[in-house]
Amino acid sequence: MIAIPTRADRVAASPLGRANPLATLSVALAWLLALSTTTDLRPPLLVTAAAVAAALALGRVPLADLARGLAPLWLAALSVGFFNALLSPANADPTATVVLAFGPIQLTEPALAAGLALGLRVVAIVAVGVAWGRVTDPTHLTDALVQQGRLPERFAYGALAALQAIPWLAEDLVALREARRMRGLRASWHPRVLVGLLVLAIRRGDRLAVAMDARGFAAPGRTRYRDVRWAALDTLVVAAGIAVLAGIVALR
Amino acid sequence: MSGVTFDLAPGACLVVAGPSGSGKSTLARAIAGLVPWAAPGRLDGDLRLDGHPVASTDPAALVARIGVVFQDPSSQLVMERVEDDVAFGLEGRGWLPPAMRARVPIALAEAGLAGFERRRTARLSGGEQQRLALAGAFAPHPGLLVLDEPTANLDPQGALAFAERLAVLRETRETTIVLVEHRADLAWPLADLVLALAADGTPLALGTPADLLAGHRPALVAAGIWLPDEPMSPLPAASGPGGSGRRGEPPPADGSRPPVAEARDVDFAFERGIPVLSGLDLAIEPGARVALLGPNGSGKSTAARLLVGLLRPTRGMVRVAGRDPARIAPRDLARLAGYVTQDPERSFLAGTVEADLLLGLTPDERGRAGDVAAALGLPLDRFGARNPFTLSGGEQRRLSLASQLVRRPGLLVLDEPTFGQDRRGYEGLLSLVHARVEAGTAVVAATHDLRFAADLGGRCVRLAAGRIAEDGHVAEDAP
Repeated sequence: MIAIPTRADRVAASPLGRANPLATLSVALAWLLALSTTTDLRPPLLVTAAAVAAALALGRVPLADLARGLAPLWLAALSVGFFNALLSPANADPTATVVLAFGPIQLTEPALAAGLALGLRVVAIVAVGVAWGRVTDPTHLTDALVQQGRLPERFAYGALAALQAIPWLAEDLVALREARRMRGLRASWHPRVLVGLLVLAIRRGDRLAVAMDARGFAAPGRTRYRDVRWAALDTLVVAAGIAVLAGIVALR
Repeated sequence: MSGVTFDLAPGACLVVAGPSGSGKSTLARAIAGLVPWAAPGRLDGDLRLDGHPVASTDPAALVARIGVVFQDPSSQLVMERVEDDVAFGLEGRGWLPPAMRARVPIALAEAGLAGFERRRTARLSGGEQQRLALAGAFAPHPGLLVLDEPTANLDPQGALAFAERLAVLRETRETTIVLVEHRADLAWPLADLVLALAADGTPLALGTPADLLAGHRPALVAAGIWLPDEPMSPLPAASGPGGSGRRGEPPPADGSRPPVAEARDVDFAFERGIPVLSGLDLAIEPGARVALLGPNGSGKSTAARLLVGLLRPTRGMVRVAGRDPARIAPRDLARLAGYVTQDPERSFLAGTVEADLLLGLTPDERGRAGDVAAALGLPLDRFGARNPFTLSGGEQRRLSLASQLVRRPGLLVLDEPTFGQDRRGYEGLLSLVHARVEAGTAVVAATHDLRFAADLGGRCVRLAAGRIAEDGHVAEDAP
């Protein structure tokens, strides 16, 4: 069998994919933090643009992948913006300019602006999160958290294994609901289904723990298959990220 | 499990055989040095590995020499990517990075997974996960390899390839192998020693396969242990005599009675663009016996779930007793079509065997529940109060079968009903199935077990890549 480079491989080989996930994480956190200090319209737009551009150009994330990750975001941003504008106290201000009136409901300019600002911030926060998520490989992140972040191995690799068990949990739920239907009962959210789900999750966790121990997880003198270091690239990523942020703040 | 004694020479292969619930998996865990520090239990007596008493050796040092593959490969894969998962065991044994990078691709290739390095473990099929678990256990060159039902998730071809790989391993005599396996035809030819356990967990016999077959045959058969040299009824050829044999063509209906279930030109996909079944045409006549065969991932389980209305087709139509299953009330549907899942642990909905069995039954059905359970080797006076999760794999499977049989549905669909069954469980299953067929129930079994397909003795439908590849009947004159 020939190994065909997958999309994930291309992302992993990109500058952002190769960078220490803690470097990209600290940039993402700095951007999010800066967003929370402003109510202007421009910074969230610029942060969104920067995050998307970085993921596409420096992370080589395929556009379709990124678009799929961002898809639910438009609806969320629209509804957050719309309802904040609609329910804003500024609508009751008699001196404000009315943009839209429908019977007793009216939308004023300041309310619309506030709603827009909030909606845009939701867009920016999700865009940064999705962009970081798409360039970050979970294994790489776990290795970095253990090797640079000094997170206990047992916790970090346990969490990584648990992350993979999530699809299994969904399958367990389907199976338990089917089991109820096969007894002629409604496939509802019966408490017994939830208990069953918990029992199955615990049993899976138990087995996984035994399997990890059987493969020498508890043994001293553990070596590392992947050595994650802090390299010049990582310092560069952090510096560039901060520089972009400074530019965005200055443009305000 | 108690009173087990054996001596295993380095490089030898021990096969552990025994009925369901005799403690085979427990023994495997103990031999792997995991009791009591990692797996629950208490160990009395003297267990030595490489001459070191297990009780007083540092577990980490023990485990470093041992590779284990448990039942259920999905719950022993740790890392997100295939290569990291193989490396996981090497890291724990202190291998240096260059040695690991050299070893991982070789271990994968040996397990038949060359080129899978960057694949995600969660996306692998059951058979591939099993191969990966083996690659991970074997990568560190363990002195002892402990395998618990390793062919469970493999189709016949995969199981055969696995047995061949073990045979190669045994030839080199570098690794001692302990193999727990119901498939005697695969396991016994590999064995230097066979340890047979009785139902109560005490040793029944220990010796070379030839000794056991010569000296203990009746005792082994009585204990419900499969033997390697039992003849199997022949399976139908591509289109056996008497079979309709034509590709994709359902056998002619007699027209007097409607099919108990039928699929007409059904497509099914869980994810758009990734079809599981395409153009499935299948009609199940009343009282029919149908074996649904096909390799891992060919869509057998999906077809089974469609036929009982658990899944709705993406395209085409499914009818149960002539009606759209989506329009039949759940309590009525469960009496028209029964389904026994491949994974019984995921079908238990109560804290005791009795409560689980009685769930959703009418008073009439409750009256016969005890008899059904007893016929399947689960008498309620002994098993009724037990927690279903504490049963052995074979017992769990029979419990989930009992809870469907008791409703006497017109169609009974079984997904891998014989996996992990000892001889007694198998025979009980077979006679119950035949009794239901006599009473007019149609039985459909999705299975890798060619012996069961032959013993079922009806129609064989073979799926390949989501389509019906063959549809034929077992010859009437088959022995």
